[in-house]
Amino acid sequence: MIGTGIKRGTAELAVLSVLEHGPLHGYEMARRIEQQTKGALRFTLAALYPMLYRMEQRGWIRGAWETSSSGRRRRCYRITPVGKKKLSPLRKEWAELFDALRRLTKVSHA
Amino acid sequence: MRDWEALVEQHLIGLALEPTERAEVIAELAAHLEESCEELRRQGMTEEEAVRRTLSQVEDWQKLSRLIQTARTKENIMTDRVKQFWLPSLLTLSFSMGLLALIQVFGPNPWLVARKNGWTLVAPVTVVYLPWLLSLPLIGAMGAYLSNRAGGSQRAMFSSIVFPVLPYLVFFLVAFPVMAIFNERLAHTIMFGALFVGLFAWVLAPGAALLAGGLLAQFFFSRRLDSRRVAGS
Repeated sequence: MIGTGIKRGTAELAVLSVLEHGPLHGYEMARRIEQQTKGALRFTLAALYPMLYRMEQRGWIRGAWETSSSGRRRRCYRITPVGKKKLSPLRKEWAELFDALRRLTKVSHA
Repeated sequence: MRDWEALVEQHLIGLALEPTERAEVIAELAAHLEESCEELRRQGMTEEEAVRRTLSQVEDWQKLSRLIQTARTKENIMTDRVKQFWLPSLLTLSFSMGLLALIQVFGPNPWLVARKNGWTLVAPVTVVYLPWLLSLPLIGAMGAYLSNRAGGSQRAMFSSIVFPVLPYLVFFLVAFPVMAIFNERLAHTIMFGALFVGLFAWVLAPGAALLAGGLLAQFFFSRRLDSRRVAGS
């Protein structure tokens, strides 16, 4: 299980990455992230929504109310062009961090 | 059937947003909780257990309310760029300009200088200029501090430090040549020596003074960060 501090930093990357494949509402987004990371990243309501609202204010994602075929109203989020632009440097930063940690742990175990 | 909206509304009583915005937040959170609970019921949990597990997603409703309010209001007012670059830059510019004006108004009085045709009142440039120049390192340090505190990058910090000389630089590099092109009289009377003195006095020297204070502050912040990292490791 990944620790809380690291999770906080990866949360925005996780949200942008799942939204890159299409619009999702909050609950579905959390479920998708949990499934795709095999439970390593798990978002509760309290962790998810303040972050979504923050990302929306920054213009990375955009939410809009939609009615599903079952008649339920859900607020669906889409990634914006600004969010897409943000995604690639975020990916690069995290890849560099994980590479660095991998190198470091290899050296430590050598 | 449980009324999730009423439950969320009751818990988020302190959420101070516009009524429509508040209603949207409540509806969205309620929909999330409802769906979570239904999923747990599908997995075979009793209603009571499913509700308990669903509500355990929020340990502190007051904290959630505060976080949502901050996310939906403060972020709106100040983006990272504003906090890291525009605010420190405009403050350093205002302080440096304001200080120059204050020194001119309340600074040393004009001197009486004897001339061939009598006495003349003179306000020597250096008497106004030097105190201003000497105060600029402090203003540069302030720009670096504000940008650093907001998590600004090295580039944002550097730009905030030297921002006060930007109007002068624009004048010498853009406005002055353009004026010279359109004003023939000005073009013929330009004294290049005086132009370079002006460029030095209003761009290079103030820029160096701002950087001296700003870079020193930046050095201090990076040292402090390093020592925190060492302490934390």
